[in-house]
Amino acid sequence: MKPMITVHQLSKSFRSPLPAPEGPFRGLRTLMSRQYTEKEAVRGVNFSIAPGEFVGYIGPNGAGKSTTIKMLAGILHPTSGEVRIDGLNPHRDRRQVARRLGVLFGQRTQLWWDLPVRDSYDILAAMYGIDAERKDARINELADLLQLGEFMDTPVRKLSLGQRMRADLAAALLHDPDVLFLDEPTIGLDVVAKRSIREYLHSINIELGKTVLLTTHDMDDIEQLCSRVIVINRGTLGFDGTIDELRRRIGLPTLIRVTYRQAPVLPSAEINENATSLRLAEVDGRTLTAECNREAISAMEALRLLEQYGDIEDVHMEEPHFEDVIHTLY
Amino acid sequence: MMSGLRMYGLLFRASIRSRMQYRFNFWFSSVMSAVISIVEFLMLAVILLKFGHIKGWSLAEAGWLYSVLSLSRAIYRTVANDVHNIESYLVSGDLDGLLLRPIPVLTALMSRNVSIRFGEVFQGIAVLVVSMSALIREGQIGWLSIPLTVFVIISGALLLFSVGLLTASAGFWLTRITELQNITEDAARTAVQYPVSIYPRWLQGILVGIIPVGFANYMPGLFVLRGDTGWWMLPLTAGIAAALFTLALFVWRFGISRYQSTGS
Repeated sequence: MKPMITVHQLSKSFRSPLPAPEGPFRGLRTLMSRQYTEKEAVRGVNFSIAPGEFVGYIGPNGAGKSTTIKMLAGILHPTSGEVRIDGLNPHRDRRQVARRLGVLFGQRTQLWWDLPVRDSYDILAAMYGIDAERKDARINELADLLQLGEFMDTPVRKLSLGQRMRADLAAALLHDPDVLFLDEPTIGLDVVAKRSIREYLHSINIELGKTVLLTTHDMDDIEQLCSRVIVINRGTLGFDGTIDELRRRIGLPTLIRVTYRQAPVLPSAEINENATSLRLAEVDGRTLTAECNREAISAMEALRLLEQYGDIEDVHMEEPHFEDVIHTLY
Repeated sequence: MMSGLRMYGLLFRASIRSRMQYRFNFWFSSVMSAVISIVEFLMLAVILLKFGHIKGWSLAEAGWLYSVLSLSRAIYRTVANDVHNIESYLVSGDLDGLLLRPIPVLTALMSRNVSIRFGEVFQGIAVLVVSMSALIREGQIGWLSIPLTVFVIISGALLLFSVGLLTASAGFWLTRITELQNITEDAARTAVQYPVSIYPRWLQGILVGIIPVGFANYMPGLFVLRGDTGWWMLPLTAGIAAALFTLALFVWRFGISRYQSTGS
């Protein structure tokens, strides 16, 4: 299948003049200065995304996420390298690419702040050249999907953050784009609103078949929505694969907490022998905590080993937290 | 082109509707700007009434120069208010949102936060009518000067817009441009409210040759009011406005490719 988004050796560096030394007319001298600092925000990034994929693009603050997204959307011009959206170059054909893109910035609305939600859609429809009939059908469809009905005629400034996010999402989808860029769509939302936004995003990807690129700091977003994760750190790609692969690659241990009927009897030699697959972390009275590498040993095998130390009364297992997985990667 | 105008019209109306959400502020600022500009002109009028003329320019002539410039500026700032306010877009990164739309960035920017300059329009028309009727009564100018004046106003609006757009484009390199705007837009325009001949040679040179705002009123005024130059002054005026506009568009486009956005 032809990829929807291709990024080849993409780099962006920002040049800013070095501030002049203290003294009179400092601002003016800075302006005249020929000395610059070069900061590479993105360096040699490569990836390609197939139609219908839901990809999480993550990294710590300042890693180059937003810079990449902005280059994909045609806002920033790359210093070197290439971007193709559906075969088009977003810098040369910015306006054509804009028609194929829906973009949501969680931090700032793209709606007309003082106008009713409906008016924003009318304006956007005109911008994208959507005729009245198609527009009405589309708005009804989106109003159903995202439940916009109750605040369709409310000025945007009076919406709650959750409502605003839904309204913004509908705005990004109004012109039926093939590709959706979502920049922190759940930022600042409460648990309920987050969950509903995730459900909407999921159905947008599955039912409407949109290709989605999502940047977020909320690892639950990634875990629940994305089929693939791309990690960027200090401007370069660190990982590109599925969530399971990511977990495996990091190899964070699964925690097994076993409660025995009596305090377990531990052969000290055993601990070293199986150190790679099963490590005893802590013994506290009748409870034993072990870290188990699931790549090397299955849960059943681990339990069989632990059974040797005594009669097991209760077992509790904890999968590694995705958030922790990511932390070790940064 | 047609669809571009329609788009602009639609966004313009939306912008006005947004403004009207704060009705008091809308009317209050309109009235205040009228009062301020009338007071400004009264100060000039007091000087002229006292001395009769400045450097050979009568009150009516000075009124023409003043009001033609006011009207040009009112048109420019009504049609393209936020070109003047580009700095806030650059500093906050709000230009991002405009770049995501399938319409020219300039169209999107111009139609933001539109403010109709009722005050300046009212003041400008009033002063212009008074000045021109006096000049026509004295037989200094004929009826033909009315369409010529309209031509000068429109050409001047394009000129002021181009100067504004060029300054705005500098923002892509400098980000902070308030100081630059003070010189190219505010100081230069304030200077040519009065007959340019009152200034020393070097300053006249700047106002005609470097920041050519003198062509918004004074230079064409030499022909329209006094016939000091030949008719070629009018095409020259329009030509300079058009050339500057072309240059401004070019620099603007180049500037957008240098846009750095903001961190988020």
